[in-house]
Amino acid sequence: MILVVYALSMPVLYFGLVSVVKKGLTDAFVDEVRSFSRVIADNLEDLIGSTRDVEDHDIIEFLDGVVLGGQSNYAVIVVDGELLESSLLGNLGSHNFQEDFSFGTNGDSTYYVSLPLVTGRSMGILRLGFDEMPIEEHVEQARLTILYVMLAYLAAVVMLTIVLSSRMVGPIQRLKYASNQIASGDYEKTLDVHSGVLEIRELARDLEKMRGNLVGINAQLKSEIAERESAVAGKKSLESKLRHAQRLESLGTLAGGVAHEFNNVLQPLMLYTDLAIEDIPDDSPARRHLDRVLELAYDAKGLSQQILTFGRIGGEAELQELNLAAIVDEALAMVAALLPATIDIKSDIDADIGLVNCDQRQIQQLIVNLCSNAFQSLSKGSGHIELRYFHSFVTVDEATRHHGLHAGDYAVIEVSDTGVGMDQETMRRIFEPFYTTQDVGEGTGLGLSVVHGIVVRHGGGIVVESKEGEGSRFRVYLPIANREKSRRQAIR
Amino acid sequence: MMARILVIDDEKDVRVTVKEVLVRAGYEVDTAGNGNEGLEKLRDLGADLVITDVIMPGIDGVAVMHQVRTEFQGIPVVVISGGGNIAPMEYEPSAIKTSAYLASASVAGADATLTKPFGRETLLSTIEALLNG
Repeated sequence: MILVVYALSMPVLYFGLVSVVKKGLTDAFVDEVRSFSRVIADNLEDLIGSTRDVEDHDIIEFLDGVVLGGQSNYAVIVVDGELLESSLLGNLGSHNFQEDFSFGTNGDSTYYVSLPLVTGRSMGILRLGFDEMPIEEHVEQARLTILYVMLAYLAAVVMLTIVLSSRMVGPIQRLKYASNQIASGDYEKTLDVHSGVLEIRELARDLEKMRGNLVGINAQLKSEIAERESAVAGKKSLESKLRHAQRLESLGTLAGGVAHEFNNVLQPLMLYTDLAIEDIPDDSPARRHLDRVLELAYDAKGLSQQILTFGRIGGEAELQELNLAAIVDEALAMVAALLPATIDIKSDIDADIGLVNCDQRQIQQLIVNLCSNAFQSLSKGSGHIELRYFHSFVTVDEATRHHGLHAGDYAVIEVSDTGVGMDQETMRRIFEPFYTTQDVGEGTGLGLSVVHGIVVRHGGGIVVESKEGEGSRFRVYLPIANREKSRRQAIR
Repeated sequence: MMARILVIDDEKDVRVTVKEVLVRAGYEVDTAGNGNEGLEKLRDLGADLVITDVIMPGIDGVAVMHQVRTEFQGIPVVVISGGGNIAPMEYEPSAIKTSAYLASASVAGADATLTKPFGRETLLSTIEALLNG
């Protein structure tokens, strides 16, 4: 575009220059010839006005001299009506006795000057003609020179423009491309534009900065969105956990209500059976049946207890700082009493590991349930169950592997068995309420979920290991009260 | 002379069976279906030991216990707890609170707690311990 403007201005410039030069040259010429003519006229006036007699041929000689001098190519004088002309005139006619006022008129390449001659005696007109051709040639030359210079200049400018524009256009196009990309959402690529032009560099830098900001903003937005999504997901997960807990709680409330009523029914049932047993002879067949009824009533009592504990999941545990060793021992005794003699029960209880903030009854319930579960896993009703109670220090590494555990000192209740073991699927589900691998009527599926609830309320954790065909091991971790104190004691 | 025992429970079956077990063991037994009736009988007939349920319509077992302590000296009170912290809706809200309290380890003030369902042996040994101890 610039080129077009430039190209259009060139002729204007050209013509301007040419006319300036021409005017200069022609004006100089005109001034020169006029002053020359004036000098000649003065000389002629002196000649004619001189005291001696002037003959025509003197004047003609004079005129010849003028022509020979080379300045003028035409010299004519009219004195008193008489025309005298230089003998050296060619075929230039003297017919046109007009004066040229400007260069180049009449198209005869001659510039005529007419000057009045004032002498004492006569009046005359001197007419000189000067060859315009040299001047015309000069002008022509100048014109050509100017033309060439302008063309060269134009060419140079064109080239320069092309070079400059490519140096500018290139980067600008890259900038344009880059900003298009950014606008369409793709701003991962760094903008790399070099240019000699300061403004373009700065523009490129600004664009790059903007791109960088966009990337930053984009990343920030993405991470904010991700955060929000995870917060929403977290919230959803919490909501679902809450709903689950609420279901459990209402289930617990329902179950608790049922159990309570149940207990009320069981009470007279037990005593009536007791009384009936008393009333019939020992060898009566009914006696055996009633004995069995009583046993079942006690089983029902156990079930009811479990349901009630389960129903207390939403409630608080009554915590006291106790040495669990004695409680574990007691629970073990209870378990041993309940289980058949064919089961080998081992125990290893460390009495000296510090106090645990706990609810005694719930811990006992927990142990009974774990042992009951262990017993149920024994095939053919025989095998080993081992109950251990010991101190364990959980490292940060271990804590990260087991959900619910923090690093620190724990009292561990461990129940292991040589039963049938569990597969992965089962291990994942064992703490679910009502999940049982037992036959219908055998297990309630509540035992381990009660255990889980108790562990949670004590701020502890539970770890399960199992191998199918070999057995299982449950470890309940309960935080030791006054950990700082007990750790310091341990170090000492 | 055998001891006289007052049994207060709103369930007829409980009254019948507990009374029968105690009678067969040689005790004199009176029964009442609610706290106030029980207190009346206590004033009229006297007793050596009171067994009372906690959750009942009207005043609950703990209130009965306190009243017995106030009016009489040296009568052991045994409370029967349901073992849970839920009460049927038609009973008074205080009964639920009391029951929850009783559901925990031991009741402050009661000489003994019987948790339903209890069997014959448990009932008799608890009574004996209190009467002879």
